[in-house]
Amino acid sequence: MTGHLKTWPIILALSILSAPLVLMYAYLFIDTVTNSPPGSFIPNEFTLEHWAFLWHTPPGRPSIWRVTFNSLLFAASTSLLVIVVSSMAGYVLSRLNVPARGFFLAGVMVLHAFPAITLIVAIFLVLQMIGLYNTLIGVILVKAAIDMPLGIWLMKGFYDTVPWEIEMAGIQDGASRFTVWRKLVLPQVKPGIFALWLFAFLLGWSEFILPQVLAPSGDVQVLSVYLASLIADDNNFDMALFKSVGLFYIAPVLILFFVFQNYLMNIYGGGSKG
Amino acid sequence: MSASRDIVESGPARIGTRAAPARPRFAWLNSSKGLGLVLIMPALLLVIAFFLAPVILTGVFAFTNMSTATGITGGAYQISPGALRVLTDRYGMGELAERLGQPTYVVDEQGLAALAEMEIDQDIIDGLKRRLGETFSSRRDFERVIRDLPTRPNTRTVKRISDAFSRSLANARFASAGALMSAAEAIDPELTDDEKAALREATYTGWSWTTDNFRRLITSPQTMRILFNTIFFVAATLLIFNTGFAMLLAIATHYIPDRPAGIFRIIWFLPRISPAVIYVLLWKWLAWDTGFLSAFLDNFGIRPRNWMLDSAFNAWVFVILINGFVGASMGMLIFASAIKAIPQSLFHAASVDGAYRWQQIRHIILPHLKWPILFVTCYQTLSLLTSIEQTLLSTDGGPGGATEIWSLAIYHTALNNYAGNLQYGYGAAMALVLVVIGIVLSLLYLRLFNYRALIIKPRIEH
Amino acid sequence: MRILLDKFSKSFGAVKVIEDMTLEIKDGEMLALLGPSGCGKSTTLFAICGIHKVTGGRIYFGDRDMTDLPSQERNVGVVFQSYALYPHMNVAENIAFPLRIRNLPGAEIKRLVDEMADLVHIGNLLDRRPAELSGGQQQRVALARALVRRPNVLLLDEPLANLDAKLRLEMRSEIRRIQLETGITAILVTHDQVEAMSMCDRIAIMNAGQIIQIATPKEMYRNPRTTFVAGFLGNPPIAFVEAEARDGMLAVKNADIRLPVPPDAVTPPDGTPVIIGIRPENLGPEGDAIIRGRVSFIETQGRENLYDIKLENGSVLRSIQRVRDDISLDDEVEWRVRSDRLFVFAENGERL
Repeated sequence: MTGHLKTWPIILALSILSAPLVLMYAYLFIDTVTNSPPGSFIPNEFTLEHWAFLWHTPPGRPSIWRVTFNSLLFAASTSLLVIVVSSMAGYVLSRLNVPARGFFLAGVMVLHAFPAITLIVAIFLVLQMIGLYNTLIGVILVKAAIDMPLGIWLMKGFYDTVPWEIEMAGIQDGASRFTVWRKLVLPQVKPGIFALWLFAFLLGWSEFILPQVLAPSGDVQVLSVYLASLIADDNNFDMALFKSVGLFYIAPVLILFFVFQNYLMNIYGGGSKG
Repeated sequence: MSASRDIVESGPARIGTRAAPARPRFAWLNSSKGLGLVLIMPALLLVIAFFLAPVILTGVFAFTNMSTATGITGGAYQISPGALRVLTDRYGMGELAERLGQPTYVVDEQGLAALAEMEIDQDIIDGLKRRLGETFSSRRDFERVIRDLPTRPNTRTVKRISDAFSRSLANARFASAGALMSAAEAIDPELTDDEKAALREATYTGWSWTTDNFRRLITSPQTMRILFNTIFFVAATLLIFNTGFAMLLAIATHYIPDRPAGIFRIIWFLPRISPAVIYVLLWKWLAWDTGFLSAFLDNFGIRPRNWMLDSAFNAWVFVILINGFVGASMGMLIFASAIKAIPQSLFHAASVDGAYRWQQIRHIILPHLKWPILFVTCYQTLSLLTSIEQTLLSTDGGPGGATEIWSLAIYHTALNNYAGNLQYGYGAAMALVLVVIGIVLSLLYLRLFNYRALIIKPRIEH
Repeated sequence: MRILLDKFSKSFGAVKVIEDMTLEIKDGEMLALLGPSGCGKSTTLFAICGIHKVTGGRIYFGDRDMTDLPSQERNVGVVFQSYALYPHMNVAENIAFPLRIRNLPGAEIKRLVDEMADLVHIGNLLDRRPAELSGGQQQRVALARALVRRPNVLLLDEPLANLDAKLRLEMRSEIRRIQLETGITAILVTHDQVEAMSMCDRIAIMNAGQIIQIATPKEMYRNPRTTFVAGFLGNPPIAFVEAEARDGMLAVKNADIRLPVPPDAVTPPDGTPVIIGIRPENLGPEGDAIIRGRVSFIETQGRENLYDIKLENGSVLRSIQRVRDDISLDDEVEWRVRSDRLFVFAENGERL
């Protein structure tokens, strides 16, 4: 930091640039608990009426709790699958002397960069053929598979930081390679697994296009699809309702993000897609 | 000390050797190869099922005419009015079509059995039995024959009898080509091979192999437009936001104290962590005709309108803003950490030299950002090329297809459109273009970022 | 237990690190593998414990051929330079780990852990995590963990390198005490000649993948086989000067110094170029051969002083003597060496 240079003009300029974002997110909250007179954006009454969707299910739509449960199930299952599969495969790529290891490593890097969303047409047709269309299981498997290359790559990075000597000591102590992984190495990468789990959970919770295409209807709808269909319905335009559902939907994301910022920033910076 | 003495003196406690642990029950779990195979198997299966197979299948589907109409499993043979029209128009076999379309009357055992069921006079049945195997191409001809029978049935009975022998093929469905042919030959035993082939093709309801998708892709003027849109979208967003604005944010936050810098970084991170649906909703709130922008500009006498969709220009502005705000954060993080890695001594030396801030930026910061910029550019090109959620949720390609980009066009062709006829085959052909670009670019990154450096030989050898 | 490496070879890809090395470690003996970094001593250690597969040769523990057995079945205790304690387990759990793997009953494990903790004097630390221990304490835990399963052999890989000077002195004698009390066969890998000499029964000195000499520390110091060995042992180190055999004497090149051939060496034919090694403690006021030079450097070490003497041909000899006030920098001196303590080497470094 060069002390003698004034910083306030920069802060001012950044504040002006950031104003639209701040405004949008501020009103996301404000509009859900207030009413404003038409044409104005200064609230004149406090109300909880926009939150009625929590206990009153509009006709023709699934209950918000059903949808929330689906979202939770979807995000929890994909993230669990991602950490299990990645923590296994990441260890192989980081530590085990397997044939074609270089090929696997290159494969993971290519898959990590490869835009899986381009495969959605084929996946859509395959799920229809094998009868997993419009099921949570189908879309969970697809989402987990798509997030997995990043997961493997991150887990490999975490394993790389575990000292080799710990593994060597383990096998000298008589433990099998499996026991060494399970009992000695996995505990060392716990924080990494947690970060990956959190990251994958948030990715799953936020996912829209996959459930929209692969599991769009009724019983298996997740929050993102539910909210999108609410917004797309031209007959019931109610911005305050959209925002209330939206706030309900985004709140866990914001809370987790603010609490575990430090865990997440590294992963986001390390190249998630978007 | 005394305890250890004991060990020396009392013989058995002196350290001899203890047996090695028993060989583990699953010995293969103890070698790199065995354990490696087990641990990598789930990942491998997922990759095969959801990457490898879809890549191949995208290629396969691209050479079919699959659509909602054809279904995705095999089809049947149906002599539908549409199929007859095809037979007439495409194969010039109007006569055959007419014959197949008309009701036909065949005196057969099945019809006679039906008559017996209807408790028709046995004399009539016997009379018709004599004409077994005869075919009549019009109801009138057949009914005349019935009326001419010695029993002389009344008009109502004649109608019931003729109905029982009606063997129309119109709208009949056959599970196989063989069934279709035997039915057609029953009506017209003198079908030529050409006619048979034409009939088979015209009446098939399932999908078939074709290269039409690619011909259409190349010749359609729509393709050029979408291609241009895509290139414009990727280039503009990348340049303005993913690298340009990201760099501005990174450099600006570098020059202010840590606390406000952290706050700004979090603010600019919100678009990335927010689910696309809600993030785009906020932009809609800003842009819609009852939204913030309209209400605000109303004070200056500007008519409220849906700013996001009222003109192609505005739609592009919003599409780029919406995607750009998401993309900026990744560049911001990467550039910021690259700037942080520049030795502080360089900055101090520069400020002693009296270099102004922008000179610092030009001569110290920017040269250090070369690789990060390359990385972000590579990475985000692919991301933007295949990004779909934000654009789908905001303009949905509108107004009038002005912001229809490639990935969105795939979605509209194959997965969701208002017309309801989803052209899977054509969509797969469009997707195949992106798949190929994706594979080529990801392989390119692999070369660019020299993955060999990452492969270190494992230190435990078995 | 006796350990035997029989014509052991190891390559990494095309690079041959060790070739045809034969080495026997006697039962209950502590042997040092001493050498500079990259000489193959760690590779040898990794081959003994099974982390590396050997490229050729056999490895025997006692009479048993261990060459193709995995590490887990060799029952080797290893103490690593970084100690490699398991960070998520406390001290007791660390020590108990090898016993848990062997499915010993809990009471037995507890008894053995306590016994071992007493042996290495960490009985009061059993509940701590490794991160809460000092370097010396971590080392004791690592030793306890390596010994608790009564290994066939104890391998110590640069065990003192991460300790500060004072602790190093303390742990040196501690490790030796524990080794002697347990009577275990041990191999110490180190690049530090002081460690090797002070802790071990015998030293195997290695260079470029080969064992140059195996001997007791005393023998090796007194009777180095090559210039490499002579140069590696001793602090301050030995000094070498080039010379030539002339008339049954050794004439230092470009200097008016003639030294007699030591009694245990063969007199080389006239004109043979040789290298003479003189240890600093053998150059001083006493001796039978004269060396003239100028004092070019004086280092005070407290009890003794180290003098560098520059000969007229430019080469430098060292002398370590009691502190004396009669000599200062740039003085011309005429000192003596004991010719029976000289080492004479051929040009290729082999002792004559």
